[in-house]
Amino acid sequence: MNDAPARALDAAPVPAAPKVKSRGLFPAGRTGAAMRAALLPVLVIVAWQLAGSGGSLAGGVLPTPDRVWDAWVVWAFGPQGMGLNPYSGTWLSNVLFSSMRVAQGFVLAMAIGIPAGVMIGWSRAVSGTVDPTIQLLRPIPITAWLPFSIAVFGIQDMGAIFLIALGGFYPVVVNATHGARDVDRNWIRAAEMMGASRFDVLRRVVLPAALPAIFTGLRIGLGIAWTAVIVSEMVAVKSGLGYVLWDAYYVGRMDVVIADMLSIGAMGLLSDRLIVTVEHWALRWRRLQSASR
Amino acid sequence: MGTIRFREVVKTYPGKQPVIALDRVNLDIGEGEFVALLGPSGCGKSTLLNLIAGFEEMTSGALSFNGGTVDSPGPERAVVFQEAALLPWLTVEQNIAFGPSVQKRPRAEYEPKIRELLRLVGLERFAHSLPSQLSGGMRQRVGIARALVMDPKALLMDEPFGALDAQTRMSMQQLLLDVWQSLGTTVLFVTHDIDEAILLADRICIMSARPGRITREITVDLPRPRSVDQLTDPAFIRHKAAIMAEMREAQKEHA
Ligand SMILES: Nc1ncnc2c1ncn2[C@@H]1O[C@H](COP(=O)(O)OP(=O)(O)OP(=O)(O)O)[C@@H](O)[C@H]1O
Ligand SMILES: [Mg+2]
Repeated sequence: MNDAPARALDAAPVPAAPKVKSRGLFPAGRTGAAMRAALLPVLVIVAWQLAGSGGSLAGGVLPTPDRVWDAWVVWAFGPQGMGLNPYSGTWLSNVLFSSMRVAQGFVLAMAIGIPAGVMIGWSRAVSGTVDPTIQLLRPIPITAWLPFSIAVFGIQDMGAIFLIALGGFYPVVVNATHGARDVDRNWIRAAEMMGASRFDVLRRVVLPAALPAIFTGLRIGLGIAWTAVIVSEMVAVKSGLGYVLWDAYYVGRMDVVIADMLSIGAMGLLSDRLIVTVEHWALRWRRLQSASR
Repeated sequence: MGTIRFREVVKTYPGKQPVIALDRVNLDIGEGEFVALLGPSGCGKSTLLNLIAGFEEMTSGALSFNGGTVDSPGPERAVVFQEAALLPWLTVEQNIAFGPSVQKRPRAEYEPKIRELLRLVGLERFAHSLPSQLSGGMRQRVGIARALVMDPKALLMDEPFGALDAQTRMSMQQLLLDVWQSLGTTVLFVTHDIDEAILLADRICIMSARPGRITREITVDLPRPRSVDQLTDPAFIRHKAAIMAEMREAQKEHA
């Protein structure tokens, strides 16, 4: 055999990292990249701090970064139950409240969205029956569902979970549908010719082939899930980061408001990283593919 | 076992301007015969192969495999695709095991067989590689192993070596000759390479386009076992000259 295995061996190893020339201010490599990434946030914080005087700017409305930091430290580590500062020491529990709601709602969104999307993409009959309804409901923003959700579920967790599940569901289902619809026809034919049943094709070809698109949907859906939890906590639930956000605004604690906003951002980032990690693992075969192309 | 029969088979692709891909095609392929379908691009070679594979339905006519009708794809008619069409998330070994495993055959039975096939196609060391880590020729060898593991009665190959460089192509042709000579399965082999058709086939069916028909059948009486070294034999060259003359003739008749 002439096209010897040796040829593929040559192609297989991951190419050596290209030499990155340091450009301008920063050294090459990871440290330089981190420094470059940190530059803008640091500049903004410094400018914000300098623009303020006496702990605030914009006529006393906005606290300076040091005040925000102080507020967060009390919020996170202060003693609980002090009458003067109702937020003291409640950061972690509020973060957990919101995160749990996101987790529950999003698991629901995945549990319904992934199978539904794959089925819609795979079967014309399912698509014809279910897809029009989804497309009809999808343009209704989740915020418009708030009164409905409060009326049905009252002021409690279920209302928030419903909104999160609904908001996360749409991108998950739509992307899963696209993924399942765009499966290479020859993969399906090959599986059928090897004796795969329709269910085998669904589980062993369509589902894995749709995974990259499904993960795209999960990442978008998770972002919407965080939007949904904050909105519903602001309006319909009496705990969590969204509740604190609105409550602190109401009593004029802008330092807590900003600390809360940044906390939401951090949690969103963290949960996104979590999905990316799972994605990395589940789509190992794809990394190898792009490395060899 | 492994006979294929087309009777007045018509295949039309519907649409605004329907395409008559096959027009009253007749073809008989006997048990263990190696038939090459030779013709220009778009003449309906893939369509013909897809009909026997069960991937598409004919518009009219009669089509049988082993005397029975063909209504869906199945492991007794194994297909080797042009771009191998391996599942990229499965390793070489898992790709080959896909057929036996969906057929719920016992692992103890097919595992030794897979090992033997990997050796036969020279990929033992790549059992756990992903398709994307292989060269085109190696991928195609996995495609062949994946077909053979099912003990098919017929091998349907649609330009399986069309995307390979000349040298790899030759080694694949030799591999196929060796495998076929030891197994004796019926083979329908689509190609537009005259040399390839002569080298491999017992019989060459020449197709013409618009409408897609089989216009000539030529028996290749080169002795077997054959090898790629014969590509330069005087007998081979004579066959080639004759076939090219027939093709020109066929083209004139259909012009
Ligand atoms: N799914 C389809 N829908 C409509 N027309 C099609 C379809 N598949 C093939 N055709 C048409 O049918 C004709 C025959 O196509 P086919 O793929 O069988 O040709 P071929 O001989 O295999 O060509 P090639 O050598 O390029 O692979 C062509 O005109 C093609 O455009
Ligand atoms: Mg073709």
